[in-house]
Amino acid sequence: MNSARYLTSSLFGFAVVLFFGLAYPHHLHYQEQFQLFLFDSNYVCDIIKQPGGVADLLGRFCTQFFLFAWVGAVIIGLLLTAIQLLTSRFVGDSWLYGLSFVPSFLLWIFLLDEHALLGGVWAVMITLHAVCQIVRLPKGWQRYVAIVVVLPILYWMVGPSWTGSHYYRYPNVAPTLLYAAWLSAIVIPLLAYVCRKWIKPSKGYVVSLCSFVLVAGAMGSIVWKNANFKAEKVMQYDFMASHQLWNRIIETANAEKPNNQIGVTVQNLALAMRGQLTRHMFDYNQNGIAGLLPDVQSDATSPIPTAEAFYQLGMIYVAQRTVFEAQEAILDFQKSGRCYKRLAQTNLIIGSYEVARKYLMALQKTLFYREWANETLPLLEDEEAIARHPEYGRLRKSLYKESFLFSDHVTPEMLEDLYFSNTDNMLALEYLKAYYMLTNNREGYANLLLKLNKQ
Amino acid sequence: MKRNIHCYIMLLAVAMVMISSCASHPDVPSSSKEAKCQPAIYPDYCDVTIPCNIAPLNFMLPADEFTECVARITTADGKQHTYGNGVKVQIPEGEWHEMLNASKGKSLKVEVWGDKAGEWLSFNPFEIKIAEEPIDEYLSYRLIEPSYVAWDFMEIAQRNITTFEETQIFNNEITCTDRASGQCINCHSYQNYKTDNMLFHVRKSNGGTVLVNDGKISRVNLKRDYTISGGVYPAWHPTEKLIAFSTNLTRQSFHTSNPNKIEVFDLASDMILYDVKTDSVTIVSNDSILLEVYPTWSSDGKYLYYCKSVPLPEDMKGQEINVIYQKIQYNLYRRSFDVATHNFGDEELVYDAASADKSVTLPRISPDGRYLLFAIGQYGCFHSRHHDADIVCIPMDKYTGTALTAETCSAVDMSPVNSAGYSDSYPSWSSNGHWIMLASRRDDGNYSRVYFAFFKDGKVGKAFLLPQEDPEHNTFLLKSYNRPEFMVEPVKISVDEFSKVFDK
Repeated sequence: MNSARYLTSSLFGFAVVLFFGLAYPHHLHYQEQFQLFLFDSNYVCDIIKQPGGVADLLGRFCTQFFLFAWVGAVIIGLLLTAIQLLTSRFVGDSWLYGLSFVPSFLLWIFLLDEHALLGGVWAVMITLHAVCQIVRLPKGWQRYVAIVVVLPILYWMVGPSWTGSHYYRYPNVAPTLLYAAWLSAIVIPLLAYVCRKWIKPSKGYVVSLCSFVLVAGAMGSIVWKNANFKAEKVMQYDFMASHQLWNRIIETANAEKPNNQIGVTVQNLALAMRGQLTRHMFDYNQNGIAGLLPDVQSDATSPIPTAEAFYQLGMIYVAQRTVFEAQEAILDFQKSGRCYKRLAQTNLIIGSYEVARKYLMALQKTLFYREWANETLPLLEDEEAIARHPEYGRLRKSLYKESFLFSDHVTPEMLEDLYFSNTDNMLALEYLKAYYMLTNNREGYANLLLKLNKQ
Repeated sequence: MKRNIHCYIMLLAVAMVMISSCASHPDVPSSSKEAKCQPAIYPDYCDVTIPCNIAPLNFMLPADEFTECVARITTADGKQHTYGNGVKVQIPEGEWHEMLNASKGKSLKVEVWGDKAGEWLSFNPFEIKIAEEPIDEYLSYRLIEPSYVAWDFMEIAQRNITTFEETQIFNNEITCTDRASGQCINCHSYQNYKTDNMLFHVRKSNGGTVLVNDGKISRVNLKRDYTISGGVYPAWHPTEKLIAFSTNLTRQSFHTSNPNKIEVFDLASDMILYDVKTDSVTIVSNDSILLEVYPTWSSDGKYLYYCKSVPLPEDMKGQEINVIYQKIQYNLYRRSFDVATHNFGDEELVYDAASADKSVTLPRISPDGRYLLFAIGQYGCFHSRHHDADIVCIPMDKYTGTALTAETCSAVDMSPVNSAGYSDSYPSWSSNGHWIMLASRRDDGNYSRVYFAFFKDGKVGKAFLLPQEDPEHNTFLLKSYNRPEFMVEPVKISVDEFSKVFDK
């Protein structure tokens, strides 16, 4: 019988890993980029001093590994399988066995939401584990003492479940699915206990297997239906832009033309980086200026790909402001490794070395950005090394020579000034031409051609 | 069993004392090479004058050059103490205050040794002069990322300057009902350095002005049909339940290539007087063209000082603010105030900055009324973002009714206070008039930090950074100290108590 249990649990865990690794990897990247886990005692203390801080800390610790989607998928798979195994201890080998998968499936559905935080999953697991340990104690005073001792510790570790602690990125939104998972982890063992008189344990594995198949089939289809593959596609473009995978972006756009703002912005950036923007932009969906250089919005997600375009164009101050705004808009007040990195880079390029150093020193306290920070720190104040650097050297040459004020809206004059202050900046020229084409500004385009001919 | 526990606790206590004594009182190196210069310590506390009640001036040597640091401090009565833990020198509060008491009105001598690549260097000793004049015990500031438009967590905090204790006065999380729109808290202000009468603003989600009147909290809306906005920059009258505010229509734009990064300017600004007792708002000035801002009272409450823009040249009128912002300059004015009738007298030009192609902001009169501090830059009203901004101090006895200028004001030499190329702004006086506080971005050009300087008989000492328990604190802190204000007592109302006013 144990083998049937191991088989079903393994199948479940394997499915979770495959789902997040193959179908949902960019949701994991998305999660990772909206937090910055620091190996720093102040950072850790600030988290764990709150009720629910331990679950939150464990969630954040694991989320840093989401930088590598398969590692993240394995972590989620292990967590959800562990929760199923803990629940199954209370459920015998009967038709009810399949119900032991319900809390894990509910958590799986919870994690489909990009704002769901892994701390919530840890909270359910810690609670279940504590209950398992208490139940193993002999009945009587020992168990009562254990409950009295464990409850406050549990409150500190997982927090008051009714306020949600830090389990969802929107602090004022109650994570209903998480509560449902939590509740099911309590109700299902109770149900098994109440029904033990009527539902006899089965000796074979067929009944358990069948109940697993029934639950897995029903809940698996709910998982699939609730998965937001449109958002996954948008996140894929954002991920590819952040890793500057220009060819892959064009290949992806060729296979299925993006029709959302982020996808189109990234597609146009990739075309421009490959010198194909003005020739091929109308082979793809366009969204006017909003698909080329959209106005900076007050959210954490949409400005980041736009900032990538500003950065590559050499509009470094604009890129810096855009990334900063995006990071400040993270709803749960967390910081972002990706944003810190870009803020360090922009400050390095404009020569604001002490500010760059601050961001780099913070990144030195991370697991996965440390190496990059260590490599970048020696560049500070080394003007020759920066000039030689293939990216920073090029971008420093592209900086505006004279400053002027801008607001949230990019104008063709900004691009024109950028190009004519450094005529090697062909990306700026591509964007300027595209700007006129997308706004159907023939006069502007003609004037530009005249200016180019005079050069 | 009980005995075992006692033994264990005793052992633990002894071990802790031994560990702490080993860590903080190292021996001076037996041999060293002379560096023939003063140590490049951070923060720079070499040859500063400090108050006799300030928290320990902990400092460090650069971690990328040195592996260890030892400091020997000699008090005026000849006692010596050594400190050093890695590259940091962190002095226990009790020992520090004993040293200050022993050296009040005299100096501490500080000798520093640094281990660089296995070799000890000995630096030229420096002095820390201990002024007999204490500094106000408390300071409050807003901690905020030096942001553009968006912001995340921010708090108004208070710091005990004699220790390292920092507590929160309010934050923008506890009463925020709409996280997407966010909440901004700002402009904390106190009546005469005391906290029973104080205020701060809450903007956006769940907004209003939180007012404390004789310890009672209320939330008020200062916007009236006849004002262009609610109250913005506040100034409590020193004795009456009156608050002067500017009202502002503020906008900002961003630089494409300028270390100032952002420009903040007013499209319109006026001044109002709020009567706390009657909840009434009266207009002080509302010139339809010129901009009035930054009101501040003289210490006797008989004058209201403020900044006011000068008229633009004819050819610039009506042009976009993005084009003319560098031409907007402010002069310093004042109007007499009759406490009995609440009437203001005629406007007097006190300091003409525009004649020297400058713009003056953030005036503050010294408690004895003899000196005037303000920030000066080339243009505009938001000098905390202007790298050329400096602090100016002028003796008021030079003002006889004729506007002072840079040439005629006999300004105090503020070079020990100002930094070259970085914004120095938001000056203020301690309640005894012997300590100047300012917000400066000199550390890195981006993050404001609090600096103090001694002031006596028209002379100013070298500015020094607000001490922190960990001298590296400011290196890692990605927040600015905004609007530092002295207080002689802490805000006694808790965050939760303040938040309850939002339930009403």
